[in-house]
Amino acid sequence: MCGIVGYIGDKQAQSILLNCLKRLEYRGYDSCGIAVAVGGIEVYKDAVRVEALRKASPKFKGTTGIGHTRWATHGAPSQVNAHPHLDCTGNIAVVHNGVISNYQELRDQLINEGHHFVSETDTEVIPHLIEKYYGGSLEEVVEAALGQVEGSYAIIVLVAGEPKLVVARKDSPLIIGLGDGENFIASDVPAILDYTDRVIYLEDGDIGVVTRDDVKIRRDGIEVAREEHKVLWSVEEAQKGGYKHFMLKEIHEQPKVIRNTLSEYIRVAEPVESLAVIRGRGIESMLMLAAGTSYHAALIGKYTVEELLRIPVRVEIASEFNYYTHTLTGTVAIAITQSGETADTLKAMRRLREAGCRVIAITNVVGSSASRIAHQTIYTRAGPEISVAATKSFVAQLMVLYWLALSYFRADARRLNTLLMELRQLPHKVQQVLDNEAEIIEYAKYLSKYDDVFFIGRGINLPVAMEGALKLKEISYIHAEGYAAGETKHGPFALLGSDTPVIAIVARDNTYEAMLTNIKEIKARGSPVIVLTGEGDEAIEELVDSVITVPPVDNLFSPVVNVVALQLLAYYTASERGCPIDFPRNLAKSVTVE
Amino acid sequence: MKQAVILAAGEGQRLRPFTVNRPKTMLSIAGKPILQYVVESLAQNGIRNIVIVVGYKREQVFDYMGNGEQFGVDIVYIIQEKQLGTAHALMQARDAIEDEFLVLPGDNLIEANTIARFVTMRPNAVLVKKVENVARYGVVTTEGDLVRDIVEKPREAKSDIVNTGIYAFSGEVFDFLDAELGIPDVINSMVARGYQISAEETDGTWLDVVYPWDILSLNGAILRRIPASLGGIIEAGASVKGLVSIGKDTVIRSNSYIVGPAVIGVNCDIGPNVYILPATSIGDNVVISPFSEVKNSVIGDDVNIGSGSIIQDSVIDDGCVIEGRFTACSGEAEVRIDDEYHLVKVGAMLGAGCSLGSGVVAQPGVIIGNHSRVKPLKLVSGRLPDKSSVF
Repeated sequence: MCGIVGYIGDKQAQSILLNCLKRLEYRGYDSCGIAVAVGGIEVYKDAVRVEALRKASPKFKGTTGIGHTRWATHGAPSQVNAHPHLDCTGNIAVVHNGVISNYQELRDQLINEGHHFVSETDTEVIPHLIEKYYGGSLEEVVEAALGQVEGSYAIIVLVAGEPKLVVARKDSPLIIGLGDGENFIASDVPAILDYTDRVIYLEDGDIGVVTRDDVKIRRDGIEVAREEHKVLWSVEEAQKGGYKHFMLKEIHEQPKVIRNTLSEYIRVAEPVESLAVIRGRGIESMLMLAAGTSYHAALIGKYTVEELLRIPVRVEIASEFNYYTHTLTGTVAIAITQSGETADTLKAMRRLREAGCRVIAITNVVGSSASRIAHQTIYTRAGPEISVAATKSFVAQLMVLYWLALSYFRADARRLNTLLMELRQLPHKVQQVLDNEAEIIEYAKYLSKYDDVFFIGRGINLPVAMEGALKLKEISYIHAEGYAAGETKHGPFALLGSDTPVIAIVARDNTYEAMLTNIKEIKARGSPVIVLTGEGDEAIEELVDSVITVPPVDNLFSPVVNVVALQLLAYYTASERGCPIDFPRNLAKSVTVE
Repeated sequence: MKQAVILAAGEGQRLRPFTVNRPKTMLSIAGKPILQYVVESLAQNGIRNIVIVVGYKREQVFDYMGNGEQFGVDIVYIIQEKQLGTAHALMQARDAIEDEFLVLPGDNLIEANTIARFVTMRPNAVLVKKVENVARYGVVTTEGDLVRDIVEKPREAKSDIVNTGIYAFSGEVFDFLDAELGIPDVINSMVARGYQISAEETDGTWLDVVYPWDILSLNGAILRRIPASLGGIIEAGASVKGLVSIGKDTVIRSNSYIVGPAVIGVNCDIGPNVYILPATSIGDNVVISPFSEVKNSVIGDDVNIGSGSIIQDSVIDDGCVIEGRFTACSGEAEVRIDDEYHLVKVGAMLGAGCSLGSGVVAQPGVIIGNHSRVKPLKLVSGRLPDKSSVF
């Protein structure tokens, strides 16, 4: 997964390209490069961050250029593997985001035809293919070259002497930002928000020609018009605004995010039917699909829907689902993906659509691929999430899932009223958890010295344990596992000792007694135990020394306050260990490869 | 002047419980934090390069102000880890200062006209104002147009003009900051060394909030100037009179009667049959249930007020959930803050996240700490610490 940018206009391209690349670094950041048309094509690239490239690169004078920041999938990070890649003549430069699955045979074939390759990347076949077919309209040449390619791509092609950039998109995101006498191309919106807030989203199969003043897009040979969107995010939303890390800022945005979802979707005292979003027939079962943190949201959605609507819910990890042979028909499938570009999830969505399922997407990015595949899309209004580790997008997903379930919940008017009132208090309760950071910081310092940590939970708080573990491992690099408390005796107990702290999430529901028993057993094995629970539980306070308390909420919404406490715990633990946090090693924000 | 430094690191202890989880600069008046008034006054006078020195509970400032783009300014944050006086606070901003700059306190509410002339002054200068109750402030004595000295809270005031805490300085002031605690001492020091410090007088808005009930008077003063706007839905039979601002998605249900000046936030549910009297500010996501009266009060965000409640001259902070028949009538009360007793006419002051059962009666002047719980039908009075439980 990488980020690509392009600029064509009346200003000097180099600094614009570097600025855009800097904004795109969250997509991948082990190497980067730019190419500028200065008569011929000048390229500067290296296995460094964008800032380092900016300082080291010579100044190229030209008003057309392309750039790339890379997360390695084929070939180790290195200067020679970094993009842009050139053909034999050095007059064709290409940047690419995606994976070319048949690159090996294409490469062999091109070598046989006399082409000379320098890198180990799949991307390098593209400029050579363009070179092979070169002659006549550049757009048609690129189209012919891409006809040979299998896999995914978002590419920008720059050719010396041609006053245009050619772009193409297939299974990898690409947008065009419109300016006055200039145009911008990028993998996504935050890259170009400094320069324009008018964007066009390209669709799969589009090939476009972008000049200073014009954008023409064709698909299957026919010219198509793509709608212009005005971006509502401001660059401010994509900056740190006082916080040391994006992640901490995004954690602190959660009360506002909850409030935004409430005001957009949930109105107290409105007849419940009018809130229903899943139009049509009554639902008898549901399938939820997601990956990573979104998968944990789906699990909480399962508990919620099953409790309120009493229908069976099946939750699947998207990548695994794609290997199942049994085809589903006629069910409602909810796909959850923050970026809307998660490859595994998109693939599953397409399969489900083909099988006749009604597919609903829950995503944070307007116009994303998921929203294009789904029959219906519900947007989480969390704003752009820059930190690789998902925080506010997760809580926003939970809010949407709660709303979905509540809009169909007819059984008990009194419980519904209580729940709606509790929902209104949720922003404030989350703010309380945030105001109580100091307590959590102490525990984080304690945790930072360990190498292995267990998180255990039951029922609706089991996914919370899993998410807590995921956050901790993502940003502090401590090995952490989320476990069903009832499962620990079936194996993991063998790992417990004084070196393995256990964080137990205890809820005041029908899992309470069992959790207390688990905690006693774990303490008997000498593991330090930290309990996360609602305020005022004296029994717990007598049992363990370490308790993180959150404000009391209805059990259904306890995941929200619990997860915020665990996000803070992970953040401060990582901070104590000196980890980079916003851009963890080996991870990228949106997993657009399988 | 092109640059300004806002000192916003202070706690405001005497304003507890409202300053336990926010710095004084973030207290909300007529729907906006005091800091926003300061920033907007600067922007309206063409100063967009702003350094804010933060400290106590700074995340509240980050969350609200961000990098300033929303307010048309560029904000740089400087962190003062320990609050060691205004001179020390200003010292922290040294590296961010380019040339000449204004210094403003983050916790005094001003408007654009307050500093309109002052922004054209050359350093060194201090903005002063005539007030009635000079003993609370730094009293300034002058010789002609120049400052002679500033005396904090004098027993015998030598003049009727006080220091607003707004200054115009150049880089040379940094040589004096080390030795002193407060900027007024710095001024005295500079005068003693022969520097000429101009005293410029303003008659624009300059409001200070020291005690919890001051929130009400500032709220009343500012509300008279807000523009009316209607973002929500007003059902048939509801009346809205006078200067009222209603936020997006808010519903004012039938037979409710709102008399301005009043501000109501977004996504609120008011009524049916709710009576709101001047001068009242209501935050976002607030529910006020039927047959309730709210008069001259400040209600925070996420508050839920049950049916049949009477709330007068009161301040209710974020997230309070109050069941029906809550009575907070206004009356003369002797309220103790630290070691001082104050005689004020006021209702109830509730910290954030309080949970009150039905039928609770609050004596005038009661201050209830954050996250307290009060069981039904209780009579509360005096001062309750945070996390109190009244059985």
